[in-house]
Amino acid sequence: MAESICRALRDGALQGEHAPALTIKDSIASPFGFHVFTHLLTQLSSNILAAKSQSRGLVLVAFSRSPSFYLDLLNRKGIDVASSQKWIEILDCYTDPLGWKDALLASENGGSLSNEASTGASLCRNVKDMDKLYSSIIELGKGIVGQGKVRFCVAIDSVNEILRHASISSVAGLLSNLRSNDRVSSIFWLSHSDLHEDRVTAVLEYMSSMVASIEPQNQSANGRRCNWESLPLLEHNYWKGRFHVRFKRRNGRVRVMSEEFHVEQSAINFRSISSEDEIVNRSLLPKVQFNLQLSEKEQIDRAKVVLPFEHQGTGKPIQIYDGRRSLTDGKSEAEPVSTGILQTNENSSKGEIIYLRDSDDERPDSDEDPDDDLDI
Amino acid sequence: MATSKPWTSSFSRNLATVPSSAPGLKYGPNGTIFISSGIPDLDKILGGGFPLGSLVMVMEDAEAPHHMLLLRNFMSQGLVHKQPLLYASPSKDPKGFLGTLPTPGASKDDKSRDRDPENEHGLRIAWQYKKYFGENQHHFDSNRDVKHEYCHDFDLRKPLEKHFISGQHIDCVSILDSPNLAALRDRCAPFLAQFPRNDSSISSAGRISIQSFCAPQCKYSNMEWDMLSFIRSLRSMIRSSNAVAVVTFPPSLLSPSFSRRWQHMADTLLSVRAIPDEDKEMAKLLTGYQDMVGLLNVHKVARINTQVPVILDATTFSIKLQKRRFLVLESLNQAPIDSSSGTSYGTSASCSGSSKSGALDF
Repeated sequence: MAESICRALRDGALQGEHAPALTIKDSIASPFGFHVFTHLLTQLSSNILAAKSQSRGLVLVAFSRSPSFYLDLLNRKGIDVASSQKWIEILDCYTDPLGWKDALLASENGGSLSNEASTGASLCRNVKDMDKLYSSIIELGKGIVGQGKVRFCVAIDSVNEILRHASISSVAGLLSNLRSNDRVSSIFWLSHSDLHEDRVTAVLEYMSSMVASIEPQNQSANGRRCNWESLPLLEHNYWKGRFHVRFKRRNGRVRVMSEEFHVEQSAINFRSISSEDEIVNRSLLPKVQFNLQLSEKEQIDRAKVVLPFEHQGTGKPIQIYDGRRSLTDGKSEAEPVSTGILQTNENSSKGEIIYLRDSDDERPDSDEDPDDDLDI
Repeated sequence: MATSKPWTSSFSRNLATVPSSAPGLKYGPNGTIFISSGIPDLDKILGGGFPLGSLVMVMEDAEAPHHMLLLRNFMSQGLVHKQPLLYASPSKDPKGFLGTLPTPGASKDDKSRDRDPENEHGLRIAWQYKKYFGENQHHFDSNRDVKHEYCHDFDLRKPLEKHFISGQHIDCVSILDSPNLAALRDRCAPFLAQFPRNDSSISSAGRISIQSFCAPQCKYSNMEWDMLSFIRSLRSMIRSSNAVAVVTFPPSLLSPSFSRRWQHMADTLLSVRAIPDEDKEMAKLLTGYQDMVGLLNVHKVARINTQVPVILDATTFSIKLQKRRFLVLESLNQAPIDSSSGTSYGTSASCSGSSKSGALDF
């Protein structure tokens, strides 16, 4: 649910806790992760500008698009980038991530470097060094919000790009350092899950507190058969998909939510799922027992039940049932049964069964309904 | 005189608590000595506690922090019994974790967790001639020890008192920055050398807890064979000492074959799992779903000195926080279903028991 994610990112971290972290993951089957990323980016930016969020600034680490792209995007969405109060900083890891252009220019021009710093962007020339990256991000963030207790958010364009240059354990270290830094309010990143091994995706999910995955509408209809008739349908379905989110809550439970999304003209819309698919967690549960315990209320009720012979002996004449009489006070316990009345077992509806005993000495029949013994 | 606790079957071994010089040890059959895990229910499930000389591994769920609950109780129990502790974690400052350890809670008498009040006052027997004999009921005296020294119930809301932490022999190690595991091995070896296992009496037992052993931010985390050989050497060191090590790890971050290998290395293997929140299906299926925070599975129970395995009636338990404070493990109970087509399971040996009643297939 995009709304819940935005809220979680906006609300940020509590004191003493790690910052909430979101992984957006998509795959080639439904490659709209970047749309979701930009959607969240614009939402968070508008929240920051409207002072509704815990953070006062945003540091965007741009790997897959240039900073000017982002500035244009934000301007198009109506977010004022060049406002009087600086709220966004972009760390440009797109232009020259490994410092090759620098080296080239240096060798050609003999030393004069053209520093292409656009507004609000600072250049990173060595993305292999995670420590340097970390300190640059924190410095930029502090540059926005100043010293003190105010926090800022971090958005990482594409974790896949970092993973081209650094190992997963150092990237995991970077992410956990960012999360545990007390100036960071929330952090989110995008990852394309099919560019890496499963282990990398598992690590990213381990490091994050929310995982949003983008999946196609029907899982089965992916590139299996490409009939000419179904092509327009496939194309129509391509722009739609499912948006699943797993929240790791503080109490240790996992909140699972789903939505449908629809991409139209580079804008993404979310709506709730029309037909609910019940996700049955049968796999989690073994065959379970019935509960043999009693709750408080049940215990009290059980104590109230009067057992067959309990009500006797409380001052009223004691009857000993000898099998000949059927006690008529089945429902009301207080009434004593008049002795000496010989009654026959009567079938209350229609037929009558008249049973005459052979002799009075006879013991009660063993095949009599034993429940007749009970005096309730 | 057998100390019969109402919820075990009538066949239970007499485990006497020998008041030796070292508190917190329980002597079991086959020369096994147990130390408490800090969770009373878990001790019962495992048949007494963690045996000295065993390696306990807990498989974490990436989505839930329940392994921390187990670790906290384990460490607090050790500190309360003054057993030296070695704690390793992938955070920069492991000492900070000591501030979150729980304190022993109120004694058992206060708890309303009375499983079978009926048994204690006798059964209500509807007997025709009872009225002639007056009140002649059998009282079931519960011979519970009033002072439980072996295992305390920890109150997760209150932190452990400072004097338990400050006066203790506590070693904290951060495994974040070590490029290989030699540093950790060098800390574990002298620690374990303090508790050699020989025929003389035990002076004290030691506890090692390693949290999130293959956490991805540790530099050694992609050296899978090295981690495996560390576990093997830890296990062999533990075997010859009077100590217990609890290692937690997230199996989803290992390759499947290595996850299997690690699981084989464990003497006692537990796993914790998260449950979905606000899941209506599950709420219908299980009673007590509201109070559950997770699930605990017992995969293996350590049997070091014997060939006889432990076969548990139930291997899945729900983790609940009673009154938000005390960690309680209960077996899963199905909610009553309205239709009469409910399947019936095998009868239990002790119908008054809860954690070991019936057979659960899993």
